[in-house]
Amino acid sequence: MQDNSANSTSKEIENWVYLFSDELFTWAFYKTSNKEVAEDLVQETFLAAFQKADSFENKSEPKTWLFSILKNKIADHFRKVYRNNSKIEISLEYFFDENENWIENQKPKNWEFDDEKHLLDNVEFNQTLKNCLQKLPEKWNASIIYKFIEEKNADQICQELEISPTNYWQILHRSKLQLRKCLELNWFKK
Amino acid sequence: MKKLMHILMLSCKKASELIDKKLLVKLSVKENMMLQIHTGMCDACKSYQKQSKTIDKLLENYFANPQATIQNIELKERIIEDLPKE
Repeated sequence: MQDNSANSTSKEIENWVYLFSDELFTWAFYKTSNKEVAEDLVQETFLAAFQKADSFENKSEPKTWLFSILKNKIADHFRKVYRNNSKIEISLEYFFDENENWIENQKPKNWEFDDEKHLLDNVEFNQTLKNCLQKLPEKWNASIIYKFIEEKNADQICQELEISPTNYWQILHRSKLQLRKCLELNWFKK
Repeated sequence: MKKLMHILMLSCKKASELIDKKLLVKLSVKENMMLQIHTGMCDACKSYQKQSKTIDKLLENYFANPQATIQNIELKERIIEDLPKE
């Protein structure tokens, strides 16, 4: 910022609130599926922007800068959710018999859909996907979102969540078994 | 040969684990081979593999997809109200 006095900083930030808060909120709401959480994260983003305004120096677009702060806040949020939830064991007996074969009615069958592009753009389908995600234990949901929120590789994720790679892919595996089942019941069997 | 086949045989439970592991980290040569042998013979796991990849794409798309912007006037007011003032 050119002028560093606190007063003009507030004016500038205020201006950014009017310009960008809806977009930031929409984005945070989409990722967290929780209005209060999304609002708090956006508010924290602007507070952080206010405190760090000196380091901004117009090197990037304000919007890009604010989004990068928000992204970190969202990652922090899910890291907390992940850490604060105790380990959940979901028995795989629901899917596999004692010989470790698929139980007959749990066997994955081919999903029939016309084309992928069509499915990706389908609002109703994405709502179903969202519902299925929310049915997962919070810890699992957080670890999935953590992966897809930014293009992070497995090493980074494990480091940030303080989890071993083996644990991490096992959580993802279990989540996917559940998600697959949920999508099959609520969408592909319709 | 029979013995070798037995060593390389995976259960569906293990195979499905490897399928998801493979989408995240690199499998060892042995794991890859065992998985290929298994999915070559097992339709259910072959379907699972396909679906697991599809789910990845669906999730990727879901989290990247820009939404119609939601207006939140109360939030604007709250943020401005709470900003440090000088």
